[in-house]
Parts: sequence; structure tokens; C-alpha cells
Amino acid sequence: MSLRWFSNRTRKDQDFAEEIESHVAHEVDANTAHGLSPEEARRKAHLRFGNARTVREREWSDRSLPWFEDLKRDFSFALRALAKAPGFAIIAVVVIAVGIGVNTAVFSVIDAVLLKPLTYPNPEELVSLTNTSPEGSFPGASIPRFSLWRQQTSIFQQVAAYDFGGAGLNITGSDHPQQVEGVHVSADYFAMFGAPVVAGRTFTAAEDSPNGGHVTVLSYGLWKSRYGGNPNIVGSTIQLDGQPYLVVGVVGPKFVTDTPADLWVPFQFDLNSKDMVVFFTVAARLKNGVTIPQANAQLRLVADQFRRLYGDDSLPHGGGFGVASLQQELIGDTGSRLLVLWGAVAFVLLIACANVANLLLARAAARKREFATRAALGAGRGQIIRQLLVESLTLSLTGGLIGLGLGFAGVRLLLKMNSGDIPRIGEDGAGITLDLNILLFTLGISILTGLVFGMVPAISASRANLAAALNENGTHASIGVRSGKLRSVLVIAEMALTVVLVVGAALLVRTFMNLQAVDPGFAMHNVISMSMSVSGDRFQKTAPVAQVIQQGTDRLHAVPGIIDAGVSNCLPMAGGFGMSFDVVGRPKGNSPSTGGAGFCSISYGYFNSLKIPLLRGRSFTKEDDAAAPLVAVINQAMARQYWPNGDPLKERILIGAGAGPAFAEGSRQVIGIVGDTHDGGPNRDPSPMMYIPLAQMPDLETALNSRVAPLWWFVRSQVDPRTLTKTITTALREASDGLPVAHIRTMEEIEATNIARQRLNMMLLAIFGSAGLLMAAIGVYGVMSYSVQQRTQELGVRMALGAQASNLRNMVIRQGMTLTLIGVVVGAGGAFWLTHFLKSFLFGVKPLDPISFIATPLLLSFVALVSIWAPAIRATRVDPMTALRVE
Amino acid sequence: MVMKRPPEAGEILQGTLDMLILRTLVLGPAHGHTIAQAIEWTSENALEIEQGSLYPALHRLEDRGWVSSEWGVSANNRRAKFYRLTIKGRKELNDATGRWRRMTRAIGLILGESFE
Repeated sequence: MSLRWFSNRTRKDQDFAEEIESHVAHEVDANTAHGLSPEEARRKAHLRFGNARTVREREWSDRSLPWFEDLKRDFSFALRALAKAPGFAIIAVVVIAVGIGVNTAVFSVIDAVLLKPLTYPNPEELVSLTNTSPEGSFPGASIPRFSLWRQQTSIFQQVAAYDFGGAGLNITGSDHPQQVEGVHVSADYFAMFGAPVVAGRTFTAAEDSPNGGHVTVLSYGLWKSRYGGNPNIVGSTIQLDGQPYLVVGVVGPKFVTDTPADLWVPFQFDLNSKDMVVFFTVAARLKNGVTIPQANAQLRLVADQFRRLYGDDSLPHGGGFGVASLQQELIGDTGSRLLVLWGAVAFVLLIACANVANLLLARAAARKREFATRAALGAGRGQIIRQLLVESLTLSLTGGLIGLGLGFAGVRLLLKMNSGDIPRIGEDGAGITLDLNILLFTLGISILTGLVFGMVPAISASRANLAAALNENGTHASIGVRSGKLRSVLVIAEMALTVVLVVGAALLVRTFMNLQAVDPGFAMHNVISMSMSVSGDRFQKTAPVAQVIQQGTDRLHAVPGIIDAGVSNCLPMAGGFGMSFDVVGRPKGNSPSTGGAGFCSISYGYFNSLKIPLLRGRSFTKEDDAAAPLVAVINQAMARQYWPNGDPLKERILIGAGAGPAFAEGSRQVIGIVGDTHDGGPNRDPSPMMYIPLAQMPDLETALNSRVAPLWWFVRSQVDPRTLTKTITTALREASDGLPVAHIRTMEEIEATNIARQRLNMMLLAIFGSAGLLMAAIGVYGVMSYSVQQRTQELGVRMALGAQASNLRNMVIRQGMTLTLIGVVVGAGGAFWLTHFLKSFLFGVKPLDPISFIATPLLLSFVALVSIWAPAIRATRVDPMTALRVE
Repeated sequence: MVMKRPPEAGEILQGTLDMLILRTLVLGPAHGHTIAQAIEWTSENALEIEQGSLYPALHRLEDRGWVSSEWGVSANNRRAKFYRLTIKGRKELNDATGRWRRMTRAIGLILGESFE
């Protein structure tokens, strides 16, 4: 439909007018020829032609799209009507914008996390290989597993191995050593993930075999930032941990892995190795047409084959192999978390709808005479409904547009403050971009909203009794009992929805407070942590690592203001490595070992740096080195679980028995018991932990460790440790002969990220709850004000008959509170049922937490009372004379 | 939609006016006034057209491509818009006439039984 079409129409109409003129002129000629006087001839001609205007109009509308014309007219009428009531329009648009805004915000996150497929080509074919057991499945692979899996060419196109997280590598050979995320991968990795190569190539199979040489592939980011996008980088050599590495290729900027990487180096596995250590992860691309159940069936057979090859003990009883969708694995439980949030925002939107419907009903009451007049002038019921719906759609689309901006800016701002540990949203939520999904969602929800809140008032207004409405006195036209009831129902619904939201918010606030109150078991204040990557040939034995630690510790001790420094190969609150152990001399029964516990290698300064209290025995000292007798320290949880009656200090433990040659070592004397730490996060009970001196690690384990995890330094100081960062990093680099440090964070910052998701949940629900509360308050205020205004006359009569002001006030309050209480009771019932969906998000508080369930209704009733107070007071100020004179 | 004073004619079925117009134009191009008069005269004034209603019908025919139009000068030496039958219109007239004949025959058969 073009503009030309319309201008054409105008031209045709003018042509028609001329044609009519010509026709009439001919008729006049004919009449004159019959002997009529000129006036009579003209009069008869016009009579004969009929109403020229009607004919032209009919022709005009025949040439138009009737619905389009009507809509255009309704729309411009709606704009005029809304402009006449700017207060109403602004409130309604704001309420809708908030309702749609929060929905857009949450949907944009859902869109980025759940709906957008992985950035790899054909992501549905990608699976991660897992170890299955009756307790669940977990990722992780050893070389023999990987070797067997990659032979399954009937189900997989490619199978590739890569680091879990990675120890990091150091770019050396210049004045600015830099610790980078260097990820070990097998040769098929790039082909499997469809990595775009912008220069050179990726690893060949020969390069990925033992003695394949030192080669690396750079990420686009590193190539640009460190090498200035040097076009001759491919074929040149860079230094990694003092060794020359040949750069063979650069991967394009769009290749974003979920373990972020700056560069890649080949694993160079010896595929004949029988080393059972699980230290990397494996993913595969399914063959075209192979489903996950088919792959799982095949892998059950592979597990049997694995047992035949490596013995029955090579897999735990009931254990096997399987695959899981890579995308599912990355998203984890974020899906259910986001859906709960979405449920909450849907409530906000419903409350907003109820609120605007309420406003519209009030407005419809005031416009009753307008509708009646229009009906009397021939507007059909359908036309009035359509007009009102166009008005509400105008409101909702305007609100939706503002809400889109609000929600989008809001979510970016919120995630900038707190990323909430949501996967796949990028740095500060940068992964959340405006796309067609979000636009369509917002458009759809705006239209739906407009229809939902517009329909009820429109139907109710169109039903009005014509005669009664026209006869009524304009100043107190009432829309009748039916819509009064409707408005009450809407207020009750708003109240009920708000109760559910606020109860949910209260539960999450309490969860967060409980989490913050948990003592993590170690010092947070004035402790800074940083990683040091001890990769490279220099650190394949324990002694040089221990030497770096000792020299570093000595240097740091010399810095004024530093209390102590310690090292660990695991980060508190990030979880450690699990390891089996035997208590020497204790019968094992049928199980292969006494039990399992977390396992950390630490330096002698570790416990003091983190203020982990020594409960019994002694802690490690500088003297517990490779030459000294083997010792271990355990935590209280381990002592309780495995020595419920005995004394662990009198026993020896054998750590990692049967875990592979890397962990082969002698038994260790338990020399001390330390306090528990909440390593799995504050919402998990402390688990058993065993600690050994880093200086006493077997060489092979050190070598393995250097590939899996960096060393973490912890420095506690009397002053804010951030002021010492430069001193500390310089001291450590000098002590280690040039090793850089990275990931410099205070323990408080680490803790904040640990409870970030609970904080985000709480913040969001608190925002939603407040929004709901505000809207519900507006709703009940609106209804009661309106009711008082409608009953001015009645109140005047009552007053004239001697009613006390307090009686009238109480009457209004009673009515308002009745609505509130019904809403609260309904809402509490709803919350009773709905909060169990929150169960997995709560900590230290039950879904039916009495405090939340008592406090919320009280809060709501109080807010309602405040909102009702103003109209109630207004009721007492009615002047009987004015009220009665209205008649 | 078209007929005024329709006691004998009754409600003329839709499209009939179109057919009458097309039939009139077989004789040659004509302007609206002539067409109206021609229909009235040839039907011996049984069909009196509300003249204004003629034009929407003419324009509809033009939209369908059955007639074409151009401004010209009438016998009265006045400016007038002349309508001319197109080839498509001639074909449509044939079809419409055939349909009309079949229908009136059918109606005639039914009425004939009771009247003869």
C-alpha cells in the first residue's frame, strides 16, 4: 500500500466530481429542451441524479481498505483521547514499561543463555564424554579412555581432548613476561569446534604426537594485543616458559571457547599410555544422524571393552561411559534458575496488567457518557470495543518500546554490577545483544498485554446501558455494580500476586543473609590471592617448585606490612581435587580404599596466611621437606568422618593408592587437625580434606600438576593488600626468576563471586517484589479513591443524618482492608504452593518459612492501609451541603 | 443497489446493471448521461436508474478492464467522459448475456407451468 495509491484516490475523486458536473449539465440541457425554465431544469436534474455526495463517498470508501481506514481513525482518536488525559496516559505507560521492561530484561538473558545455540557450527552435534556411575555422571578423561573413545568412528566424526581449566602458561623472552591462558588440546579440537583459521593452520596429527615439537596456535585477541596483529607472526617463534614455540596459526575472533583461551598447544599424548590419571576433558561431534541414546548404547559396549583391556578395577563398580549434550552441560541448572526468574517477572507483568486495567476501568467510568453518545450516534458495540482496544494497544506499544530500552539498559547495568555467575553471557553481560528474538518477544508481549488489560474494560464499557448513561448526571456517572466488582477483583488479584512475589523475595533475602553469615573457615580480610603458572620444563620436578615457594615466601616476609604468605595448588571456595586414601592397618572390607577426601598440596605458610585454625597436633613447617618423613594434616570433617572414635594423630594414611603412578608415594603420618573450610561454597557442608606439604609431592605428581593447575599465592597483610600488589608481584617475580602472576583478587572478591548468584537472585526478586508492592498500593488507592468519589452523595447524606467522621473513615478503611485481606489470603495460599519451586535456591530457610509468611502479609496490609488512608480521610471531609446540592 | 421505483423490475440481481451498461456500449462510445438515458429509453422507462448510481458501476467496470474511458466533447458541445467497450468487456458481455438467458429461461420454465 503506497502513498501513491492514496494520492491516486484523491485524483480519481476530483475526476469523478467533474464527471458528475458534466452529467448534471447534460440533464439540464435535456430538461431545458423539454421546455422547463432554467431553475426548474436545474432542480430536476439534481433530483434525478440523487445525492452526489453520497455517491462520491461510497466510491471513495470502495477504493479504500476499510479496516485500515478505521484503524487509522481509531489510532488518531486514541492519541487525541490520551493527550486529553496526560496524567492517566503517563502512569499507564510507566506501569506497562516497568512490567514489559523486566520481562525484556529477563528474556534477553534467557535468550543469550538458553535459546541461542553455542557459537560453534551445528552445536547440536557436540557432546561431552562423561563417566557414568549410579551417583550421576561427571566429565573427565584419562589417556586410555580418550584413546578408546576416539576409535569409535561409527558414532563420532571427531573426538578432541582439552584442558579442564588449565594451569596457564608464561610468555617469556621479553621484558614483560605474561601469564596467559594456554589450553592444551588434541589435534582434532579446532576441526571439531569449527574454529575459523585466519592465518596459517592448526596442529597436524604429527605435531600432536610425542616429540611432535613445540608449536602453538594463537587466539585472535592475543595476536592483536601482544603482537600488534603482526602479519608475519605465522612461522615466527615465541617463548613459552623459556622454550621456543613455533607459531603455526591464528584463529579468528569469532571463536569464543567456554574455557577462554589466549593460545593453544598440543597435548602430544602417548596414546599407548596406561596412565589412569583423569586430568583433562573430552568432547566429540556426533556423526550425522547419530542420536545421543545411540551413542550411549555404543559407549556401554566401549566400557565393557575398557574393562577387558585394563582390568575390572579400571572402572568403578556400576560405572561406564556416556555422552551429554555439550550445551546442556554448559548451561547446567541455569535453566531452572532463569525459568523461576521468568515466573517472577510474569507476575510483575500480570500485576501491571491488572493495574492498568483498573485505571482503564476508572477512566471508562468517567467516559461513560462519551460512549453512550457515540452508541446513540450509531457506533456499534464492536466499534466501541475496537476503539478502546486501539487505545490500550497504543498504551501498551508505547510502554513496550520504553520497556525495551529500560529492560535492555537495565540488564546490562545489573550484570555489570553483578554477573551472578550466569554462564555464556560474556564479560559484564556483553554477550547479551539486541536481536530479533528479543524484538519479537517484546512486540508480542506488548500486544498481548494491551489486549489483556484492554479487553475487560472495553467489554464492560460497551455493555453500558445507553439511556441510563445519558440520563445520568455527568458529575457522578457510575459504571455500575458490575465494573465496581470487577475493579475489586482486580485489586484482590494484584494483592495476591504481590504476596507471592514478596514472599519469594523475602525467602531469597533470608537465604542471602544466611549465606553471608556462614563463617567460611578462613580469613577474608586483608588477604590477597594470585596465581603463578609453574609450567614448562623447569618445573617438572618437586624441588625447583619448592625452591620458588621458599624463596618467594622469604622475600614476602621481608616486606613490611605482610604478615604471612602461603601457597596451595587449589583455591579455597573453588573446590579441590578428590583423592582416595587408605588408613594404614585398617581393614577395607570390599571397597578398594578406606574412603575419599579433598586433596590439597600447600606450603608451610598456608594455614597462617588464611588463618585456618590448628585444632590439634602441629602444622607444617619449613622443615617438612622432601628429605623429612612424609606427613599430612587433615581437617575436622575428615577426623569426624573417618575417626569417629579413634585418634587420627596416631595413624598413618596412604594417599592416592591405586590412582596411578603419578601418585605413588609412601604412607604419611597424620600430624595435625585444622578447622573446616567451606570449599564447596557457603551453602555446602565442609567436606573432608587432607593437606600435604608441596615440598613432599612426588615428582610425577608435580609434573602433572604443572599442566593442570597453577600455584595460588595467599598473602595476608596488616594493611589493605591491594596497596601492596606491585611490591608482591615484583618480589615474586624476582624470587622465581621471572615468573609473572595473574588473577590478582582479594579473598573478599572471590567470596563475592561465590555467592554472586544468590545475590543476583535476591536483588532481582527484591526489585520485582518492590515493583509489585508499589503497583498494588497504587491499585488499592485508586479503587478506594474512586469509590469515595462515587459515593460523595451517600456520604453526604450519612453525614447529614448525623454520622461521625470517624464512622465514615472506618467504613472506607474497612472496605479497603477487606479487599486487601482477601487478596493476602489468596496470595498466601498461592505462595504456599509456589514457593516449593524455590526450594533449590534457598539456604537455611524452608520454603514455608514462617517469618516470610507472617511478615509479608503484615507488610502488605500496612502498605494497603497507608494507601487507603488518604481516600478514607477524604470521605470525612465531604461537605453534606455540596454533596446534596449535586442533585 | 441500483433501482429506484422497482415495482415491476423487482430487485435486479447484482451484475445486471453491469450487463446493461456493456450492452449499451456495444453501439459505440458514450458518456454517462447518454448511457443512463439509453437504458431508460430502450427499456421503455421500466428501468429508471438513479443516475448517480450509474457511475460507481461504470468505474467498477473500468477497474476490471471491461470499459475504457477518456474525456471528450459531447453532442451538446460539453465536456464529458466517454466510455468505450474493450475486447475483454465484449467477451464479458457475451458471457453475462448467456448467463442471463439461462437464468430467465429457468425462471420462465418454473413460472410457465403455473401460468399457462
